[in-house]
Amino acid sequence: MTGLGTLVRLALRRNRWFLLAWVLGLAVIAPATATAYETVVGGLAGAGALDVMAANPTMRAMLGPPTDLGTPGGFTVWRVGTFIAAAAGVMAVLGVVRVTRADEEEGRTELIRSGVVGRHAPLTAGVLVALLGCLVLGALVSAGMAAVGEPVTGSLAFGLGVALVSAVFVGVGAVAAQVTSAGRAARGLGLAVLLAAYLLRGIADAGPEGSVRRDLAWASPLQWMALVRPYADERWAVLLLPAGLTALLVGGAFVLESRRDHGSGLWSVRPGRDRAAEGLLSPSGLAWRLQRGTVIGWLVGLSVFALGMGSLSGSFGQMLEDLPQLEAVFRRLGQGAEQLVDAFFVAMLGIVAVLVGIVGVQLWQRLATEEHRGHAELLLAAAVPRTRLALSHLVLAALASTAVLAVFAALLATPEALDRGDAGVILQTVGAALALAPGGLLVLGLAVLLHGLLPRLAWLVWVVVGWSLFMVWVGSVLGLPEWLARLTPWHALPALPVEEMGWAPVLVTTGLALALMAAGVWGYRRRDLRLP
Amino acid sequence: MGVIEIRDLVKRFGSTVALDGLDLEVEEGEIHGFLGPNGAGKSTTLRVLLGLLRADSGTARLLGGDPWSEAATLHRRLAYVPGDVSLWPGLTGGEVIDLLGRLRGGLDERRRADLVERFDLDPRRKGSTYSKGNRQKVALVAALASDVELLLLDEPTSGLDPLMEAEFREVVAADRDRGRTVLLSSHILSEVEHLCDRVSIIRSGVVVESGTLAQLRHLTRTQLDAVLAVPVPADLADAPGVHDTVVDGTRLTCQVDDAALGALLSRLAALGVRSLTSTPPTLEELFLRHYDQRGTAEPRP
Ligand SMILES: Nc1ncnc2c1ncn2[C@@H]1O[C@H](COP(=O)(O)OP(=O)(O)OP(=O)(O)O)[C@@H](O)[C@H]1O
Ligand SMILES: [Mg+2]
Repeated sequence: MTGLGTLVRLALRRNRWFLLAWVLGLAVIAPATATAYETVVGGLAGAGALDVMAANPTMRAMLGPPTDLGTPGGFTVWRVGTFIAAAAGVMAVLGVVRVTRADEEEGRTELIRSGVVGRHAPLTAGVLVALLGCLVLGALVSAGMAAVGEPVTGSLAFGLGVALVSAVFVGVGAVAAQVTSAGRAARGLGLAVLLAAYLLRGIADAGPEGSVRRDLAWASPLQWMALVRPYADERWAVLLLPAGLTALLVGGAFVLESRRDHGSGLWSVRPGRDRAAEGLLSPSGLAWRLQRGTVIGWLVGLSVFALGMGSLSGSFGQMLEDLPQLEAVFRRLGQGAEQLVDAFFVAMLGIVAVLVGIVGVQLWQRLATEEHRGHAELLLAAAVPRTRLALSHLVLAALASTAVLAVFAALLATPEALDRGDAGVILQTVGAALALAPGGLLVLGLAVLLHGLLPRLAWLVWVVVGWSLFMVWVGSVLGLPEWLARLTPWHALPALPVEEMGWAPVLVTTGLALALMAAGVWGYRRRDLRLP
Repeated sequence: MGVIEIRDLVKRFGSTVALDGLDLEVEEGEIHGFLGPNGAGKSTTLRVLLGLLRADSGTARLLGGDPWSEAATLHRRLAYVPGDVSLWPGLTGGEVIDLLGRLRGGLDERRRADLVERFDLDPRRKGSTYSKGNRQKVALVAALASDVELLLLDEPTSGLDPLMEAEFREVVAADRDRGRTVLLSSHILSEVEHLCDRVSIIRSGVVVESGTLAQLRHLTRTQLDAVLAVPVPADLADAPGVHDTVVDGTRLTCQVDDAALGALLSRLAALGVRSLTSTPPTLEELFLRHYDQRGTAEPRP
């Protein structure tokens, strides 16, 4: 493996900000949650109430079963452990694909390979750097938990669990990078495996205690960290599972890499049509063709998620009967809902509205990719005005993300509607989702503005999205000041049906979004095209 | 009226000055060669003409219009082939040809079929599976099959094999004969020599020479190789306009400015000439002198 050292340094350089942001962002969540334990338990009138809440199938599906809610450590593992492991899995997949398949696709690896480096050196370097990110994250989680006074043994198990579970997804990303022939497809495949693992453990964990369905959780790598039982009689041997699977996957990636040609994947590319279909022959037709895979991927992923979560909505009523004192807590979580089902929908829509914000921004940013790959140059040189090119991606991003949100809401409410025999709840939930849609448009507007006026700072929009996701997912447990939690593009919008429909925030947010978009497109018309 | 008229064009990228007061004129119906060393500013000039980049100062007119504000309308009348064509990985070559053709306002179907055949292109393959030369061919077919007045070609044959390059020359020459104007940036001198009516040589963002090939040749020196009847007199090397003299007994090799050629020849004739070969400057020598930065220090006749 000649040249490995150089390549590792290169991969480190290219990935340092990426990994640093992910690792630090994820590492603070665990100790922050542990320190918020007293406040949360106090608010719930004792850890006993937490137990009942955690026993609810819906909560189990989202967070996994708890091992020990009597200590801050056990509570942290239950409340944010799976989230940290899943997010670290995303980091692992993206990190390894970035410096392997994506680089190969852009032709950067070819330059490196033609130099004096071993055949597998680029893949080795990519895997090593991503593994390093996982290990550092694990070490920081252990250190952070120990630093806030949690038992060292449990903290070590927690950190190692996070590190090794995310390492599995380094392996998943490495294999995906061999199988597919494009960075986007590799990321899609890796993240689809991650989503499947998350859903599998959700379905398993929602099952009754001691059932076979419950045992299915062992099949999901994402659950292995929790199955080590940090802070509650650690089962160290479980750590062998992710370690072994990582070794297997990485080894598999190397074998696959030996079997394929440089620049191609294992899935070969079939020839296509020799003439274009009429629908392709316009900027919007092209934009749809380029993006339909992404749109359909999100649609399928969120639809499965919606049906899975929707089918659990009924169990909330059950929990209310078990534990009347929880009512107030849930009303608060669901913004004071009368019906607990409503509270559940409000909470779900709050999260998914932000996720769908990602869809919009991702679809829009394809335009930036088109520019730096030189495709936009071809189009603009061929009688396509800049405005038309920008609008082809902008309209698609706005429409597709809103449609995905509406479909999610409809499917989320469908089980409840079947249960009640009343389709009205579907309409009501779709309406509630659409009331949140302007938040996504506002984020999209910010992305358009940055692309048009400050293309170098385009990443800023991800800070806003990441912050919002963080706030809706784990922000409520951290006890952050109210004004801070309000600082998201979605917060001003009415949470239907719990809150009254307020047209003012909806219209103001939409208007602001449109203004940002207009300014961004104006800037895009005036600036130099970004070239390869 | 010129199809392309550029005056005093300046384009900066941060602190790099890519174009530094460039003047360029391309007449209707000519193939205009655009040459210069790497990084001289050829692609930048073309991109300003296409409205992809905005000039910092100076004026540029394209087909009688403003390349920035009237970009989309003007582009219906021209076709462009970039130096490094990057295709969408999921679209086939045929789809890209149809797409670019339609966006430009339509393709000539007969020509499309003819060019696909001539360039031996498989239009059913996906963009990610084409070689560099084949990607280039896709863009070439799309451009040449469009019904346009002007072709802007940025190193269009880089990556083409010699057979395909010959096809390209034939097609472009025929196009010129039908009245199309071509601006051809190229590093391949034989291609320029074969095709271009006029050339402009650009260096560090300024055009340093412009004219027909014959005119440019006049600005240079002829290589002389003579064997005299008597030993070569020592003072011959000092004669005006004679350079790089090498003397070996009766044999003389030197370079002569065109202006001094007559005087030198009559002097040699007086001495008695056994044999004489004169070689006109090759295009390579011509361009090497312009490309080489040190060339500026040398006084030109
Ligand atoms: N987008 C850009 N940003 C910064 N600098 C640029 C950019 N595009 C070109 N340059 C610089 O401008 C100068 C001219 O580049 P240009 O691509 O026009 O050269 P060229 O004559 O086409 O060269 P080549 O023969 O290599 O294609 C170079 O110094 C280049 O580095
Ligand atoms: Mg160039």
